[in-house]
Amino acid sequence: MAKTYEEINEKIRDKQAVVVTAEEMIDIVKNDGAKKAAEKVDVVTTGTFGPMCSSGAMLSVGHTTPRIKMTSATLNDVPVYCGLAAVDLYLGATELIEHGPQNKVFPGEFAYGGAQVIEELVQGKDVVLRAKAYGTDCYPRQKLETLINLSEMNNAVLLNPRNAYQNYNVAVNAGDKRPIYTYLGVLRPRLANANYCSAGQLSPLLNDPHYRTIGVGTRIFLGGGVGYVYDQGTQHDPSVPRGPGGVPLGGSGTLAVTGPLAQMRTEFLRAVSITGYGVSLSVGIGVPIPILDEEIAAFTGVSDAEITAPVVDYSHNYSNNTGEPLARVTYEALRSGRIEVQGKQIRTAGLSSYAKARAIAGELKQWIENGSFTISRPAEPLPGVDSGVKTRLLQIRPPQQNNHNRRGSARR
Amino acid sequence: MIQKSAILNFPKDLLDRPVISNVIRNFEVEVNILQASITPEEDGRMFVIFRGGKEAVEQSLAYLKNSEIRVYLPVKNLVWDENRCVHCTACVGQCPSSAFTVDAQSRQVVFDAARCIACELCIPACSYNAVESISEHLAKTGGQ
Ligand code: SF4
Ligand code: SF4
Repeated sequence: MAKTYEEINEKIRDKQAVVVTAEEMIDIVKNDGAKKAAEKVDVVTTGTFGPMCSSGAMLSVGHTTPRIKMTSATLNDVPVYCGLAAVDLYLGATELIEHGPQNKVFPGEFAYGGAQVIEELVQGKDVVLRAKAYGTDCYPRQKLETLINLSEMNNAVLLNPRNAYQNYNVAVNAGDKRPIYTYLGVLRPRLANANYCSAGQLSPLLNDPHYRTIGVGTRIFLGGGVGYVYDQGTQHDPSVPRGPGGVPLGGSGTLAVTGPLAQMRTEFLRAVSITGYGVSLSVGIGVPIPILDEEIAAFTGVSDAEITAPVVDYSHNYSNNTGEPLARVTYEALRSGRIEVQGKQIRTAGLSSYAKARAIAGELKQWIENGSFTISRPAEPLPGVDSGVKTRLLQIRPPQQNNHNRRGSARR
Repeated sequence: MIQKSAILNFPKDLLDRPVISNVIRNFEVEVNILQASITPEEDGRMFVIFRGGKEAVEQSLAYLKNSEIRVYLPVKNLVWDENRCVHCTACVGQCPSSAFTVDAQSRQVVFDAARCIACELCIPACSYNAVESISEHLAKTGGQ
C-alpha cells in the first residue's frame, strides 16, 4: 500500500503522523519487515553533523548614505567576495584571516577565518565590516568602516554548495615518517590511528541511497533552523559502485543546501580549526524521509553493520590519486573504536559527531510530530545511478601563448 | 575507592628494587601502568594510576616518596570544556591513557581527569577548541 506526500502531510497537520529516527527504524524493519514498517511509519528522520568545507554565507547589507559599490571588503579582517553587486557579499567558511600565520609554523593552528565569523554572527555578536571602492557617479563612497550585526542585515543565508556526503573515506597514514595533518584530522604514521567522518546509519543519503525522496526543494533541518536542498551538491557522484541495498562503497551523492542564518544556533553550527589544514564549518543537517512504500522503508532500515567505507592512505595515495583502499570496514567496526587493517588493530575516531546527528534526527522528529514541519515533494530529483553524472579529475592543459591573453591589453 | 594518577621518577640505583610490587602487596592498591620508560643506565619514568581505598592510596604514595622516588601528582592537566565539545571523538583516537572515552549508549565523550597523563596529543586533534592545556587555560583566564 503506497502513501502519497499529501496523505503524509495531512497526518502531520493532524499531529497523527508516526515519526521515528533512522536509528529507531532499524529495529522496526528488522522485527516487523519492510512491508509492515511501511504501513506503520510515515516519516523517518535522519541527521548528520561534521565539518564540511564547501560552506559560506551570502550576506546583503543595507545601502549606506551616500552609497558604495564595494570592490574589496573584510569582516573581522577575513576577506569577503564582493564581485556580485554593490552591497552583496559572500563570506567563504574556509577563507583565512588576512596576514594570519597559516602553516608557516607547522602545523598551523588556524584559529580564525570565515567559519569563525559565521559562528560569531549566529551568536549575535557585532563584527567589523571594512570596505573599499573606486567610486562611481551613482555609488560615490570610497571607504566604509562599521560594526554590523546579523540582525541588521537585509539578507543572510548559509549557502552550502556541498554537504551531507553519502559515505566517505576512512583516513590512515601508511607512511613511516611523521604524523600528517589532514582535513580528516591528525594521522600518526604506521597506521597508528584511523579517522572517519559519516553518521552512517543516521546519515541522510545513506537512508535514501537512490534519491527517491531527497531532491531539489526538499525542506530540511539546517543548523537548527529550516532550510532547503537547492541542487545536487558539488562533486555529487552517483556512479560510485554500490553494494547490497544500493549503499555506495565510497563517497558519492552530495547535497547543496541553503537556509537563513537568523534561525540557526551554535549548537548545530560550529566553526572548526583543523590543525595543519585550515578552518572549516560544521553544520547540522537533518533530512526527513517520507515512507511512501515498502522499498523506501527497507532502505531506511539500513544499519552500520551494512555500510562499509574504504580505508585510504592519506600519506601518499589520496594526494596523488593513486592506489587502492587498504581495506573495507563497516561503520559498526569504526564505532567500536577499533578496526583491523592489514592484520593490524587500529584505533578509530570520528570527526562527525554521532551524538549530534542523533540530537538532530530527534529534534526534527519532534518538529514533525508537533505538526510544525511538513514534508516537501522534490521539484526535481537528484541525478541518479543511471544519469551518467560522474566526478572527473581536472586534466591540466597548459595554455598556449596565442590564445590565453583575453584581458584588456589584448583588445587594444 | 579513589583514583590518583602520578608520574614517578626513579633514580637509577632504585631500579632493581621491586617498589611497585611492594606497593601492590603492602597496601592492596591496584596499579595501572600507562607508560614506562626504564633503561638500566638512566633514571626511569612511569605514568601510573593508583586505585584503592583513600588511605591505602595515600600510604602508597608516602611509601614511594620515602623510597626516594620523585612523585609528581598532576592536579589537573587538561581543561575540557564540555560546552564546546561536540562529541566527535577525535580526541579518543589519540588518547594513550583512555582519559577520553566514548559512552557506548549516549555516544558522548567522557573525560576522566585522573587518567590524563598530560601528553597533550588531544589538543591538536580537537578542532572545536574544547581542550586546552592547563597552562594555556591559566594564561587565558588569569587563574580562574
Ligand atoms: S575532539 Fe574535542 S570536540 Fe571532539 S570529542 Fe574530543 S573534546 Fe569533544
Ligand atoms: S593530554 Fe589528552 S591525549 Fe594525553 S592523556 Fe590527557 S586526555 Fe589523553
